[in-house]
Amino acid sequence: MIGVILYLLFAGLFALLLGTVLPLLIRREDKPVRTVSLIATALGSAFLAVAALPVLFSATTVSATLWHLLPGIDFTVVLDRLSSLFLLILGVVGLADAIYSFGYVEHGGHPMRRNLLVSLMNLFLLSMGMVVLAGNMVQFLVFWEMMAVSSLFLVLYDFESEGIGRAGLFYAVMTQLSTVFLFIGFILLYGETGTFALVPASPLASPGALAAFLCLFLGFSVKAGVIPFHKWLPYAHPASPSNISALMSGVMLKVAVYGLVRAVLDIFALDFTSGAVILLFGITSAILGIIYAYKETDIKGLLAYSSIENIGIIFSGIGLAVIFSDLGMPELSTLSLLAALFHSFNHALFKSLLFMTAGSVVAATHTRNMEEMGGLVHRMPFTAGLFCTGAIAIAAFPPLNGFVGELMLFESLFFGLQVVDPLTKVLLIFALSLFALTGALAAACFVKAFGITFLAHPRSDRAVHAEEACRSMLIGPAILAFLCIATGIGSFQIFSALGYDLPLPDMLVVGMLIVVTLGAVVLVVRATASRETRVTETWGCGLLSQNGRMEYTGTGYSEPVVTIFSSIYRTEKKIDRTWLDPDRAIVAGTRAGISLIKFFEEYLYLPVARGTLAVSSLVQIFHAGTLDTYILYIFVSIVILVLGVGWFI
Amino acid sequence: MNGPFIIFALLNVGFVLLISPLFMSLIKKVKARAQGRCGPGLFQTYYTIAKLLRKETVYSSASSWVMRVTPYVCLSMAVVAALFVPLLYVPEPVAGIGNVILFLYLLGIARFFMALSGLDAGSAFGGIGSSREMSLAAVIEPTSIVVLAALAVVARSLNFLEIARDSAGMLFPVSATMILIGVSLFIILIVETGRIPVDNPETHLELTMVHEAMVLEQSGRNLAMIEYAGAIKQTLLIAILVLVLMPFGLVTELSVAGVLFAMALFVVKGSVISVIIGLFESSMAKMRLFSLPNLFIIAFFFSVLTIFIEVFA
Amino acid sequence: MTDVSFVDGLVRFIFVAVLITAAFLLSTRSLPSLLRTYQLQSLLLAMLAVVFSFVEGSAVLLWIAILTVVSKVLVIPYFIGEIQERISIRRDLEFHYLAPASSILVSIALIIGVYLSLGNILSSAYAKVEPIFFIGAVIGISLMLMGMLVIFSRTKAITKVLGFLSMENGVLLFGICVTELPFIIEVMIMIDLIILILLTTILTVGIDSTIEAYNEKVRQYSLWTVREEDAP
Repeated sequence: MIGVILYLLFAGLFALLLGTVLPLLIRREDKPVRTVSLIATALGSAFLAVAALPVLFSATTVSATLWHLLPGIDFTVVLDRLSSLFLLILGVVGLADAIYSFGYVEHGGHPMRRNLLVSLMNLFLLSMGMVVLAGNMVQFLVFWEMMAVSSLFLVLYDFESEGIGRAGLFYAVMTQLSTVFLFIGFILLYGETGTFALVPASPLASPGALAAFLCLFLGFSVKAGVIPFHKWLPYAHPASPSNISALMSGVMLKVAVYGLVRAVLDIFALDFTSGAVILLFGITSAILGIIYAYKETDIKGLLAYSSIENIGIIFSGIGLAVIFSDLGMPELSTLSLLAALFHSFNHALFKSLLFMTAGSVVAATHTRNMEEMGGLVHRMPFTAGLFCTGAIAIAAFPPLNGFVGELMLFESLFFGLQVVDPLTKVLLIFALSLFALTGALAAACFVKAFGITFLAHPRSDRAVHAEEACRSMLIGPAILAFLCIATGIGSFQIFSALGYDLPLPDMLVVGMLIVVTLGAVVLVVRATASRETRVTETWGCGLLSQNGRMEYTGTGYSEPVVTIFSSIYRTEKKIDRTWLDPDRAIVAGTRAGISLIKFFEEYLYLPVARGTLAVSSLVQIFHAGTLDTYILYIFVSIVILVLGVGWFI
Repeated sequence: MNGPFIIFALLNVGFVLLISPLFMSLIKKVKARAQGRCGPGLFQTYYTIAKLLRKETVYSSASSWVMRVTPYVCLSMAVVAALFVPLLYVPEPVAGIGNVILFLYLLGIARFFMALSGLDAGSAFGGIGSSREMSLAAVIEPTSIVVLAALAVVARSLNFLEIARDSAGMLFPVSATMILIGVSLFIILIVETGRIPVDNPETHLELTMVHEAMVLEQSGRNLAMIEYAGAIKQTLLIAILVLVLMPFGLVTELSVAGVLFAMALFVVKGSVISVIIGLFESSMAKMRLFSLPNLFIIAFFFSVLTIFIEVFA
Repeated sequence: MTDVSFVDGLVRFIFVAVLITAAFLLSTRSLPSLLRTYQLQSLLLAMLAVVFSFVEGSAVLLWIAILTVVSKVLVIPYFIGEIQERISIRRDLEFHYLAPASSILVSIALIIGVYLSLGNILSSAYAKVEPIFFIGAVIGISLMLMGMLVIFSRTKAITKVLGFLSMENGVLLFGICVTELPFIIEVMIMIDLIILILLTTILTVGIDSTIEAYNEKVRQYSLWTVREEDAP
């Protein structure tokens, strides 16, 4: 059994490697090259998913040492229950994304550049898989960096377009920041354990370990896009090609989650405070993420902010797990950890689904602005149906999978309220009410996303001429949509098979009830009601015909929430009037404007950037630019070193 | 799925379907009387639904399957939700049916589709209604969840059926805190059913309307289904209030006499609450849309205090 | 009457209702309903005093209840109502520093903060034995702080006065629940308040002008001191 799993694992990784190398070696512009490479991607992902499944359900650990790199550092592949879940995510999303990409990569761009896209996508998947499988810190860091660099190139894929350069810059800086924190964290960890193995013999709780945890937490948070380290995410996700956005949001953020869960579960023994910190970061991201998402009119930007929200929910689950386990409530701790993990899986499914279908829409309309879409449900019916499934799933409505994850989180909070001490209760009530707000806003947000994008009249010519996406761009998302429904309805059975007996409603029964009721209602109404129907134009208050200009806009849709939460949005409404007379009775003219303060950019990122610039300008003094000066510096430092060594030792 | 549960399901759903329009007309009647009018008869809502079912259905040419599916989804979600709140007989919960959060989210699906159908016809009214409805629903949600959490803390259960089983047969609420929860639930009832001061179910004036604007494009049998779903939702919320404040009368053992008695009693209790709703509406003025969050935040304050008092004192 | 759980429930209900009235004082815009809210708050406190007096059999609490009803439910609101009638301001729409929604959220935080700090100050044993009284103390202090919030976050003088009165109600609640202030001090406070209201009446009506103009105004508004002179 273990042998088979290992074979599948290596076959999968090898296929991805092949998919990376092939388009680079065969320098031809025609389609078969990319097709072969994408078949390799699909097969590789499928192999990885199949390898992950038995490990997930049987909770065995599979590991293999391939070769010894250095004394103490082996190249080891480790697949245990935790990493198998994330490998499964990678496999499933990778498979669907590969199928989607058959059609998607042929949209635009020079053929050679398309080859590069396919190759880099394989490399990206491969490096993420290797991060999840990494058995020691060095391996983890190397592949983490590979993942960062390959995704950076993918973000820059369309580098001539406006705004992409800025996105790339943000992404490069933040992702390197993440790596730096991880480096420091792992070095501190090595100082504590003295070994490069990722998982120490027993969980650590010393002050040094706490510092290491803090660094790792920061590193993973930056990569996962937790507020306030999120700024790269809404730039990078819309900028990259949509199949890559799906991977970044669906899988790459989960790799960061994997890192955090690994750290929380196996590496450190954390106390209440750390749990509360994770929880607070999580809630903040969840609520602010969805509030920002609601305002977006860029459809991929909306999805990107919504990813921040979901990562927030996942982090909160992890935080709750730490809190409950510190309070000695293992069942609740398991429940909230499972909620976080299940939500990671769910989010990977529906967010990739949404990014892919949004990508189809963007490819069909050549714009990301929702205000220029509309009416697409008639022109792209299948894409609309798939997007709607994703929207229902992410808005957490039963019986789809998004609901089950949120239900678990709600339940752990509800049960927690009954047992913990007063102070913790305050924290839990706080979390509970913000989650409720997040959930409801998410529903509103996706009504807006689906309604404004797909329903009613087209809002521009671009939307009028849109055409349904090709077959591969429907099959890929359709797999995910099917899984969203299946894992939602079968959630109770899945958890039973995994060996967890959770206090969840049996969604299979609920789903059946819904279907039976729906059938009964349809039958009864068919039998009793009049079947006459007429199709006519919408009433337009006496105007002869209704057009796209008269519809409710996306900006209008979000206006009530923007007004209610104006203190969070930090919008500034400015009205300047000029008057004709000194008594200010007759208005000559008015200028009104609404400006949005980019809070984090203005108060967090820019000050840090300015500080860095100030420091570097100090350093600049020493940079004369002539070779001799630099050699002088080297000479001086060597002399200091030599003398210093002599002095102190 | 055992025998008693199936009986419960049929009984509960049947009774809810039968009785829901009655409370709708009763509230209208009370409001009319408060305004010095005679008001519609108690069976008016039944007649209206029957009339609408016989009318032809008009669809906008801009609309899609969303418009056509929404009424069915709304009605079936309301019917499924009717399984979650016991009105007469309380069986052992099966497969987690009765879960309070699931209940809330089932109503949420109906709202989700209704908001989409508001956008579907491309009319600006529908958009206004849909946008306002979703915003208000979002702002009231923390209160709903915290109230349910308070209920769960006090009743030590997350399941309406279990809560009902614990309190069935008691003359008074289980604890005094239940009265406080009842007040919060009443506010939620007002918001969820779109009544004054949050929304005005009677008017189609575009400045005041929230819910009515959303269903403006619905007609014929579809409108009948949506109205019916609204009536069922209202009855269920009333039933929760009854469960919390006046649990007396629910039976835990099946018997014809007991069930009949429970039916009669529920009609009385539901009527009391309907009259209160009618009077409450009559004594209020519609609030401006953007001063509603203030009202909601007071409701939130109230429910947080309830937990606070229950937990700390 | 001595049914413990019934009394317990009643007291809890009053506690929550008192805080809700305070929340209304923070957010209501119409002055007449602000006044009614204050009246209700005082009435609730009187009820609380009655309940406690029955439980403990103490006559002083009953006297406090009567005094509260007379002064805070009848006399003071009557005077303030008079002022409102005369200055013909019906609404208080402006807010300083905090919008109503945020000030209610702030007060939730305040209640929790007070709970924590009082938990530290009073011994935890006390909180365990008499949780109701302990909560009463917490709510009393929170009520005081919320009154202060009213004073600085609302702009109209009458609302500020009501805020101050609500602060005093907080002191009363604290007194009922914790320290059992001597009756005489309670009486002094009441008299103090009534004088304060008289002063406020005078100030709101006439601070902006000279003594002569002020006299004129007092006559014009026919406030109580002048009423007899005015009467033909």
